[in-house]
Amino acid sequence: MFTDIDGLSRRAFLERLSAAGGTALLMTGMSALGFGIASAAVAPPVMSGGKGKKVIVLGTGVAGLTSAYELTNAGYDVTVLEARDRVGGRSWTAKKGTKLTELGGEAEVCDFEEGQYINPGPWRIPYFHRGYLHYAKKFGVPLELLNNDNDRSYINYEKGTGPLAGKPIRKVEVAADMRGYAAEMLAKQVKQGALDAQFTAGDKELFLDYLKSEGYLEGADLKYLGAEGRSPLVNPGAGLDPGPGVESKPYAMTDILHSNTWKVLRSISNLDQQRTMFQPVGGMHELPKGFVRNMKPIIKLQHVVEKISQTPGSITVAYTDEKGAKGSITADFCVCTIPLSVLRTIEIDASPKFKEAIGGVSYALVGKIGIQMKSRFWEDNHQIYGGHIYVDDPLISTISLPSTGWLGQKGVVLGFYPHGAAAARLSGMSLADRKAYALAAGKKVFPEYADSAEGSFSMFWHRTPFNMGGWAEWTEESRAKYYPTLLEPEGRLYLAGEHLSYLTGWQEGGIESAWQQIAKLHTRAMAA
Amino acid sequence: MSFKLFVSAAALVGAAAVAGAVIAAPVDGAATFAENCAACHQPQGQGVTGAFPKLAASVVVQGDPANLGWILTHGRGGMPNFSEDMSDDQIAAVLTYIRSSWGNAAGPVDAALVKAQRGAPKPVDTGAGLPFH
Ligand SMILES: Cc1cc2nc3c(=O)[nH]c(=O)nc-3n(C[C@H](O)[C@H](O)[C@H](O)COP(=O)(O)OP(=O)(O)OC[C@H]3O[C@@H](n4cnc5c(N)ncnc54)[C@H](O)[C@@H]3O)c2cc1C
Repeated sequence: MFTDIDGLSRRAFLERLSAAGGTALLMTGMSALGFGIASAAVAPPVMSGGKGKKVIVLGTGVAGLTSAYELTNAGYDVTVLEARDRVGGRSWTAKKGTKLTELGGEAEVCDFEEGQYINPGPWRIPYFHRGYLHYAKKFGVPLELLNNDNDRSYINYEKGTGPLAGKPIRKVEVAADMRGYAAEMLAKQVKQGALDAQFTAGDKELFLDYLKSEGYLEGADLKYLGAEGRSPLVNPGAGLDPGPGVESKPYAMTDILHSNTWKVLRSISNLDQQRTMFQPVGGMHELPKGFVRNMKPIIKLQHVVEKISQTPGSITVAYTDEKGAKGSITADFCVCTIPLSVLRTIEIDASPKFKEAIGGVSYALVGKIGIQMKSRFWEDNHQIYGGHIYVDDPLISTISLPSTGWLGQKGVVLGFYPHGAAAARLSGMSLADRKAYALAAGKKVFPEYADSAEGSFSMFWHRTPFNMGGWAEWTEESRAKYYPTLLEPEGRLYLAGEHLSYLTGWQEGGIESAWQQIAKLHTRAMAA
Repeated sequence: MSFKLFVSAAALVGAAAVAGAVIAAPVDGAATFAENCAACHQPQGQGVTGAFPKLAASVVVQGDPANLGWILTHGRGGMPNFSEDMSDDQIAAVLTYIRSSWGNAAGPVDAALVKAQRGAPKPVDTGAGLPFH
């Protein structure tokens, strides 16, 4: 993928890395450069000898915090500037008292009860995001499982046709029936010899065995008649009543096909969404808090960066602080993790090519609403513990049930999570209308939904100051044209953040991007 | 990747609903603007510097209507593609509205022009409603 790094060959670059940081840094560098040791970096670069060289880090999302933490430990003299009155950037949790005013929006204060929360931004930690897991472990931030795929979930697709359209049905039923019918049809073909040309000796019988097991096929004619565990009408229990329970009957294949519900089925989830999925106990803000607990007080909150200027020997960042006073800091290097959607409004000493690249990527329109429910009816009445409800209203996109506080009194449901044009439309509504829209949609799935609703908190990232977008959305063209430019330092300025990774829209992208960029900075500082 | 699939599917299903709505009364451009556009471009078309282009007193808005029709049906930069969410009539009405508001004074746009800008329909996909990010 990369042939040149800083004008060096890959190999020469790796040699320098190893000279500067030993084997661990070499390994990190090798995987980052696509040498195939692992698909992604698994540990921060090992660095030392910063000798008090000054670095300014801009932003306190995971990318800024990672940079500041590692550079400080390597002996650099780090100052961090953060525009907001809190750390964490998008790694944020809305709970009682959380305030937000979107651009052009109403003032909103979260009115959940103590202990209830919603993660308006990041909420899932895939098992292979090893940078995130590294810091969670290091700082003792407890994680819990997030149920990202629940067999008992309802699918409520209104835009299909036939008897199953617009009616909540269980995912387990659709999966059992569709796979059962598909296996049955295929098994018939195989038995009749229609596919004999596909098999080498002995394969045919094994393949039939697989189909039987995959589809719960029965009898000599390999029929699908329903599957054990397909949402029994009566669960098995004691004595004779309920005794063995009552199994459910399959839907007709044509009804499932026309209902569109089969669209939720895939042999496996894509990598980002596979089990095991985690979340931090208490909300996404916990990891930033973990960083802060383990760092010297070098973060200046409510310092809004307005200008970045450079000379051949130094870099200066000008800001306005919480009192409206202007100030500036000068250093040897700057690591800037401000999202490009915001950075393009800031005055920077940079080449026209670099500035054009900053403007060359667009950001996702996206948002969420959390609704506090006074009872956990999805658990009590529907036996659904976490996971997602599938709906085909693009304005809602996903309804998700909390993977925390199991069997408690209350809980916060994710009521919508739209993107693109749907997010543009929903974000134009008043707070009250957004909630009303979410409740009307949820009520179609759960009769208890609207009556149980208490407080809510909604937000859209494209209307949120200091983010102005959910995450970077590179196209193939902009990746080719602009991305490589932004990976290289511009004078003494190094950019980092989720936008400079192939893990855009994930915190891991921010962390691994920070690792890569500070490793480059360190190599240069050591060579000087 | 899965995410793109998801969006196009959501958009496709959206199209059916829109098609149903088209038969109704003539489309109100101002209301369509408030519903779909104002969240970003702001209620008076004033935009947000650096993030969302200003539509008030805009050379682009008063320029080639085919270009505007293309942007709405394909998306550009951070702006989503509205082709599955709005009918030709709605897009024409909203363009006519912005071209004659907030210091803009350019001619109306008709639905046939919008239709001509639409590309081939997107292929059906299978990822509807699957989770992303
Ligand atoms: C709706 C949504 C869902 C997501 N889901 C997931 C998920 O499930 N799992 C996951 O891992 N990731 C998810 N992500 C992605 C994740 O949030 C980001 O990839 C990650 O948090 C980016 O970190 P960052 O440090 O690059 O940027 P940020 O966290 O945005 O940090 C940038 C910082 O710069 C500051 N800043 C901005 N302007 C200035 C200025 N002028 N002066 C000073 N400071 C400034 C900001 O205040 C902020 O603190 C999701 C994102 C969204 C929006």
